[in-house]
Amino acid sequence: MTGLRESAALEVAVAEDRTRHSLALYYRALCGEVCSLVPYDDGSSPWEHADTETTVWLPRRAPLDDHAEFTADQWYQVAMTHRAMHRAMGTFELDLDRDEPLFPRRRPRAADDADVPSLPRLAGLFGGSVLGIHIFATCEDLRIDAATDRLLPGLAKPATGVRHGALHERPQPAALSPRAAAIEALVRFSLGGSLVWAATSMHEPIARIISVARRLRDPRARVESSVEAALRICDVLVGVPTEGAHRSGREVRFAELDTTYDESGFDTETLSARMTGAQGFAEWYHPVAYRDWPGPRYVGAPASDASLEAFLPQVAQASTAPAHGEGEDQDGGDGVPRRAPERTAGSADPGAAPNVRPLMPLNGDEPWADLETRLQSRAANEFVYPEWDSYSATYRQQFTRLRVVGTPVQRADHSHYRALARYGHLVGPLVRALERVRPDGHTITRRSPSGDDLDLDACIDAAIDLRTGVEPSDRVFTDLRRRRRDVAVVFALDLSASTAIALPPDPEAPGTVRSILDLQRDAVSLLARALERVGDAYGVYGFSGSGRDDVRLSVVKDVEERTTPTVWHRLGGLRPDHTTRMAPAIRHLTSRLRSVEAATKIMFVISDGRPFDIDYGQQYGEEAMLGYAVGDTARALAEAREAGLHPYLLTVDPDGADYLGAACEPGSYRVIADTRQLPEALAALYISVRSSS
Amino acid sequence: MIETATGTTPTTSRTSRSQEPFYLPVHDEVALFTAAYEQRIPVLLKGPTGCGKTRFVEHMAWRIFGGRADAPAQPLVTVTCHDDITSADLVGRYLLSSEGTTWLDGPLTQAARSGALCYLDEVVEARKDTTVILHSLTDHRRTLPIERLGETIEAHDDFLLVVSYNPGYQAAAKDLKPSTRQRFMAIEFTYPDRDLEVRIISHEAGVDEATARDLAFLGEQLRRLDEAGVIEGPSTRLLVHVGGLITHGIAPRRACDVGLVQALSDDPDVQEAVTQVVGAVFPA
Repeated sequence: MTGLRESAALEVAVAEDRTRHSLALYYRALCGEVCSLVPYDDGSSPWEHADTETTVWLPRRAPLDDHAEFTADQWYQVAMTHRAMHRAMGTFELDLDRDEPLFPRRRPRAADDADVPSLPRLAGLFGGSVLGIHIFATCEDLRIDAATDRLLPGLAKPATGVRHGALHERPQPAALSPRAAAIEALVRFSLGGSLVWAATSMHEPIARIISVARRLRDPRARVESSVEAALRICDVLVGVPTEGAHRSGREVRFAELDTTYDESGFDTETLSARMTGAQGFAEWYHPVAYRDWPGPRYVGAPASDASLEAFLPQVAQASTAPAHGEGEDQDGGDGVPRRAPERTAGSADPGAAPNVRPLMPLNGDEPWADLETRLQSRAANEFVYPEWDSYSATYRQQFTRLRVVGTPVQRADHSHYRALARYGHLVGPLVRALERVRPDGHTITRRSPSGDDLDLDACIDAAIDLRTGVEPSDRVFTDLRRRRRDVAVVFALDLSASTAIALPPDPEAPGTVRSILDLQRDAVSLLARALERVGDAYGVYGFSGSGRDDVRLSVVKDVEERTTPTVWHRLGGLRPDHTTRMAPAIRHLTSRLRSVEAATKIMFVISDGRPFDIDYGQQYGEEAMLGYAVGDTARALAEAREAGLHPYLLTVDPDGADYLGAACEPGSYRVIADTRQLPEALAALYISVRSSS
Repeated sequence: MIETATGTTPTTSRTSRSQEPFYLPVHDEVALFTAAYEQRIPVLLKGPTGCGKTRFVEHMAWRIFGGRADAPAQPLVTVTCHDDITSADLVGRYLLSSEGTTWLDGPLTQAARSGALCYLDEVVEARKDTTVILHSLTDHRRTLPIERLGETIEAHDDFLLVVSYNPGYQAAAKDLKPSTRQRFMAIEFTYPDRDLEVRIISHEAGVDEATARDLAFLGEQLRRLDEAGVIEGPSTRLLVHVGGLITHGIAPRRACDVGLVQALSDDPDVQEAVTQVVGAVFPA
């Protein structure tokens, strides 16, 4: 039963990953931008899941009830569409100096603030208040939803259903303060609601708010129109008390409200001063689940994951100072509360000490002191290999012992499908390129001594030869033979402790802590997907060790093993561990590939630095260690080549060319300058290798 | 269509000169081609699949030869290249006949002799050793050596070689040799802008303007996935096909499913995303 439950849970997880992947592609089609989707659970504070430029937060479960007029898939599609349309319709490309056609201009012209981008300046228009940004965001929601209905009529029905569903979730206005009730009227109007219950004294402010908001449904409305509308609405709101009880009230029907408004009745000149402090955590604004919660990107910090409330004082300060770079938002120490960094698959806590066994002391007990003992295999999963001593130019026989170990399954960490969401856009071109390198189908051999059909060219030549008295060739057939996919490739991943070190923050994926091992996993996920599609056999292994008698090879997927979801969980289960003795792993995988039937055999060894172990050349002195280790590695690569393999060593060590260049064949290694480019580089190298092999 | 002796059949077609092929210029390609033709500079057309390269060549052949009494019988000879094509398939070969062996000009030789435009579509699909035979035709010599005949023919004054390829999907593994590439002037094609594409779809598929506009909008959205390398973006031709299905009574979503979704990708995740975009544009 447990197995069945696990299997069912796994299927659900895989389905969720795939849904995220296709939703991310859908988002990209609509707005051309990349995003990663992150689920959040009920009960978290809204500001904790405010979208950033590259991260879209969606609830883990769509809010469905018995009366829902939409499916969960439709709810997610509507939510993603709303976010994509914000990008496509220019919400974050506000230009306060640009004209818009719907309102007499109330925005101040750029003067001293000319150097400050428009979004940070926007905060200043509302006195640095959260309320102002929320009203602007709601105006944008209204404009975006109206535009979506026009541009994407196929989505109109589910979108209307989702909005109706959101209306059902709204709080009762009778329980709200007058100002909150006025805001609620705006939100309900933006959701397509037709009425709101309101105290009699609120009818006039609500009428003014709705008369302004209604204009945003005009097809000509731009993001700047939303600013004009928000200024007017805020002017109304700051005149409405924040506390008080409703004595009497009635329904206000939006359609029956006066559609004209008196422009002279708005005072936006002093709005900024009057709005200062118009914020707080009072329940004046209730989120709409399918819409994004306004975060710092609404005031020009697209990558920040702080709360808007905490971020605004900074922006208000910055809006009077020259524009500053996005990077400045990232450094800590500003006292701004931040969401915990999104922990991605397998990422290591940069603050935690890696699980490294300290090196043995260099005294009489040094591990390299006993270099004469020949090692023996003690179990079926242990293999003994020689080591090349480049200083004495001899092989040390039975010198290293490699143990093949299983890899623990780690379900929660690395997600193959999450990696594909990040790099999925590379799979298609990769597959096409591979298919073009060696297209499936038949090979025609002309002028063959036997075959399926006569080769007319050859027959004619033979006839001419006969008539001219020359002995004709008997190669007069064409032979059609089906090509087979006959490539086997193995990936050997360096699992030394240094692969756990967190990389510097990626400006394109803020809040994400990633390690070299994460990138190795992503690269394998990407390649594996493409190889599955073209039919190349592949294996994935990790190597680490701590001494010549303890080299470990973790099997994620054997080259002749079928791909199952477990493989991806094993990939997630790889853990950084000790040192880098590459050569035994290369020798073992050479041996493994020899036993595989394939015309082309390729080996990729992916490492983050120089080969090193606690007893790897130290006997020749510290300065000779690198030369010894590189020499052995280069020798192992050469042995692989002699065995008919195509071995390649990829390193992300920027100094790699210095030491590999001296020992390795020029084409057998590749140094990747930007670690983050590892998946792309591996894909490009694979195409190149396949083209030439 | 020429049936070749070896069983490899380069797909060739000849264009009638009676009717003007429908073509709406996207940029200045008509002026560029005209200038190139006047100088007899060979032309390389680059662009994604289905963006109108072939139609453009047909259109230009009509412009060049349409009103001329001395135009060749087949003003445009098109060869669709593939990796089994040989130089004999282009130049010609001996055939068996009752009288013995008979020489049959290949499409390239025919075009060079008669003064037609010879259009080698997807030229990089042909092996590099095959494309080398184009060299003497595409420089000042304008000659074509025919090894089997032991002769070299001079190209007709009106002859011009035009080749095309799609750098998008062919660049990774195939490319023209520099020595071949540098004999051509290149015109780059892109997808037409939305208004132009609406007119093309409307004309070619016979759909109403609103449907054509929806299809063009859909194409525009999905081409963002092309920019991302997820799929080869839907071509105008593909959108015309979908429009044609709609014209013949197939519901738009279904027409997109069979004409677009399935044609763009076999990846279920990508198909799902494309289906969602289709569903957003066309009501059920």
